[in-house]
Amino acid sequence: MSTIVIGLSLSFLLFLLAAGLTLIFGMLGVINFAHGALYMLGAYVCYQIVHWTGSFWIGLAFAPLVVAALGAAMEVITLRPVYNRDHIYQLLLTFGFILVIEESVRLIWGLDYKQVPTPALFSQPIALFGSQIPSYRLFIIGFGALVSVLLFLLLDRSRLGMVIRAASSDSEMAQTLGVDVSKVRTAVFALGSGLAALGGVVAAPLVPIELGMGFSVIIDCFVVVIIGGLGNIKGAIFAALLLGMARAAGFTYAPEWVELITFVLLIATLMTRPAGLFSRKGRAA
Amino acid sequence: MHRRAFLLSSAGAALSALAPATGVLAADEPADFHIAGILAFSGAYGIIGKDMRQGVELAIADRGGKVLGKPIRVSWEDDETKPQPAVQKATRLLAGGAQMMFGAVGSASTLALQGLADQRKIPLLVTISADDKITRPNGSRYTFRTSNTLGMEIRMCLEFAKVKGLKKIYGVTADYQATRDGWELFASEAKKAGIEIVGNDYAPLGNRDYSVIVDKMAKSDADGIAVMVTGNDAVTFLKQSGQVGLNKTKTQFGPVLQDETLAAAVGPAAVGVYSGVRYHFTVDNPANKKFVEAYRAKYNEWPSSFAGEAYDGISWWLDIVESTKSWDREAWVDAFAKSTRENSLEGKKVMRACDHQAAQVGLWGVVTEGQAPLPPLTMKITDVFDASKLFDVCS
Repeated sequence: MSTIVIGLSLSFLLFLLAAGLTLIFGMLGVINFAHGALYMLGAYVCYQIVHWTGSFWIGLAFAPLVVAALGAAMEVITLRPVYNRDHIYQLLLTFGFILVIEESVRLIWGLDYKQVPTPALFSQPIALFGSQIPSYRLFIIGFGALVSVLLFLLLDRSRLGMVIRAASSDSEMAQTLGVDVSKVRTAVFALGSGLAALGGVVAAPLVPIELGMGFSVIIDCFVVVIIGGLGNIKGAIFAALLLGMARAAGFTYAPEWVELITFVLLIATLMTRPAGLFSRKGRAA
Repeated sequence: MHRRAFLLSSAGAALSALAPATGVLAADEPADFHIAGILAFSGAYGIIGKDMRQGVELAIADRGGKVLGKPIRVSWEDDETKPQPAVQKATRLLAGGAQMMFGAVGSASTLALQGLADQRKIPLLVTISADDKITRPNGSRYTFRTSNTLGMEIRMCLEFAKVKGLKKIYGVTADYQATRDGWELFASEAKKAGIEIVGNDYAPLGNRDYSVIVDKMAKSDADGIAVMVTGNDAVTFLKQSGQVGLNKTKTQFGPVLQDETLAAAVGPAAVGVYSGVRYHFTVDNPANKKFVEAYRAKYNEWPSSFAGEAYDGISWWLDIVESTKSWDREAWVDAFAKSTRENSLEGKKVMRACDHQAAQVGLWGVVTEGQAPLPPLTMKITDVFDASKLFDVCS
């Protein structure tokens, strides 16, 4: 039973990491290589806020907003002029973002490790199903579930979500109907960037904050997005649950095979459903 | 007459044949002593390169910036913690006349440089990479390591387990060959010493989630947790084990588990964790006191193990080069291979001619809460293991 609880925490952490990537691809058609760098930046901004205020919760509230604002600026200044060009320009641009963000982080915070402590509210373990479960893991499960529900409601049930979907399905038609597509795209990129940062903030008490931390998560993010179906939030939730549970079971019974299990799932998906388990047709920036 | 002419012309030819040789000898004494410094200034070990560079620069400044009467020049290059850039950049520096190489940080890069050292007959000084393959009997003639080996650090773990009286141990090991070998050595020696191994999990290198493994450890009846991972993985493991209070119920230890830098990244959960220490600024001897004072005066920080090992190794090497009074690299290699450093920062170090590995004591410590001006989390040296317990006999 404890394996299931831990698996759920792994799953929702994976979902938080990948949600922004799948959102930006699904709505804008942009594969954001800089997702890992934005995740890292979120962790660093959270560290700085915690350093100044002593509160993880203020970091959780404001670090994603800071990174979202940066994402909006990046989209307006650099991506907006290249939406109508070949995808390679967008790829190169987001790759360039990685270099700029990493160098900026190095200049501001240096190469030393940074540390965000576990918030005091969740610093003690809880006895559950015969195991000592870190209460912070339970927070991740609850918070991740909340974010996934909010995202689903926002994109699939709200008027704003309808506008976003309309702009991503047929931007010219949406424009003709009075939707400011440029603003919608900026908002989506900002939201995706903020979600990447949110993943960094939530992961910060679990891992060392360092310059390479974004690189180490980007592969997991892509695995979730590919298995779930590019650009599909429901797919991302399912894929994250599948991977998280598989990893928890793998670490319990055969830790040496965990990486293999992950990639077997990926290959099996690509062979049977190349567009992902929850693929949608007709998405275009 | 013909005979005299023949003798004169023969003598002339002989002299002219000798002339280039004399010229080569003169040209062999270059304008400076050029070191190719190949370190990681970015990538996974980026944080280490800066400290090593500071250690080397202080060592050079200490001797007035000269060896064999010539200025010492170091060309620093970033290998990005990857073997290929390490070899490419070193090759370029050697083509520019570098007389030796210093580095790298990661063992993969160092092993790649080792091939270049042997091919070009250029000495390579290693002061941090710990892979046992770097120094081995009948290995590289041109490679020397003045710092610890992983095997030595694994033996320190075993000695600690015996001293601490641990009865049952659960391990977690980074899943790559060097640490796998290390774990197997530890497990087999531990069993011989009557210590039961109750479990071990191999975790992927760069693993970001140890929660399941930590749960298995917490549920086991082990009294000791052997953590055969380092760097980011060590920080991640200790942060996550701290969240379930594993540090309060079991003794966590590892060969390269903690130093001040890693402890700062872990936070309070690092307190009480035991680890091998390659060098420490609290080692009580005159050479170390002098070094620490100079380092703090110059850089306004405590020297890390990377800085200390780099300073110690390059100082030793340059002293040997000086003692040869020669620009012949083979003479440096021969002299260094049979040298002893009585006044090393960690005490006596003896270079073993058989494998070019410095035999030395092993420092072992625990993370404690430091009092100013020490770092907030600082290593306290608890044991000093004799070299005879840490190295195989080598002939």
